[in-house]
Amino acid sequence: MRILNLIVVVITGAILIYGTMDMPGWGNPGSPASLHVSPRYITKTLEETATPNMVTSVLADYRAYDTLGETVVIFTAGMACILLLRKRRNGHD
Amino acid sequence: MIPAFDFVILIFVVICAIAAITVKDLLSAVMILGAYSFFMCLMWAEMGAVDVAFTEASVSAGIGTVLLIAAVYRTTRRSRD
Amino acid sequence: MIDFIVSKYNYWIYIILMMIGFYAMIGKRNLIKKIIGMNIFQTAVILFYVSIGCKKGGTLPILEHAHGHAGQVIQASSYINPLPHVLMLTAIVVMVSTLGVAIAIVIMIYLKYNTLEEDEILKAIK
Repeated sequence: MRILNLIVVVITGAILIYGTMDMPGWGNPGSPASLHVSPRYITKTLEETATPNMVTSVLADYRAYDTLGETVVIFTAGMACILLLRKRRNGHD
Repeated sequence: MIPAFDFVILIFVVICAIAAITVKDLLSAVMILGAYSFFMCLMWAEMGAVDVAFTEASVSAGIGTVLLIAAVYRTTRRSRD
Repeated sequence: MIDFIVSKYNYWIYIILMMIGFYAMIGKRNLIKKIIGMNIFQTAVILFYVSIGCKKGGTLPILEHAHGHAGQVIQASSYINPLPHVLMLTAIVVMVSTLGVAIAIVIMIYLKYNTLEEDEILKAIK
């Protein structure tokens, strides 16, 4: 059983390492992730939101609905923990 | 990004991850996971993601470790693998 | 060849970390060990995303001399890509939420079956 787990893990890792052969190198400024959307955020953040920190301006201004959804996720997790761990008064479950 | 610093921290992170899943005592495993989280936070600060590093240090290394220690305290400390 | 290895080695180390977490999730029998493996796996994925945004010669994504220099020209290539940082900031909070719910479920399982080992729980269910 332990051998089977190791075989599954090694095969998955080999496939993922084969997938990194086509990726751009680490820290390459011309990679596709750095050319498409983020230059607009970097160049326009001061005149549109007047915030020097780009991470907070994207988090709380451009993508504020994303942060709202994150708050819903935390609320649901808290509700689930309270429902699971509350004290039972009726004896059975 | 500093390549030599990055390589040293990556080695520390891999050692911490292997130690966290092989130690038999669950409280030791949880404490090694906290050390792993702080090394990861150092790595993100080195890559320039300072906001992510703050969040990791407070949320994952702080609250996550406290939750896991509370779980070990409520259940048992011994493990068979 | 050396250039290829230098530009790719940390992706390979991220994949090794990810596979350590994956092995702990499918191979270990203790439930707390499975949760630790899930944490390692998620942190490795977040590390992979953050390293995509890295740029050689770029500085932190915070503007220098922001107020009072309104007409300055901002070069996009001199700042690190801020978009993966924002998305991973959300992912870290979701990670801690899943950790909390998983720990609550593990505590309930321990109160009911009095053990944390997976094979003993399966034996008690049968």
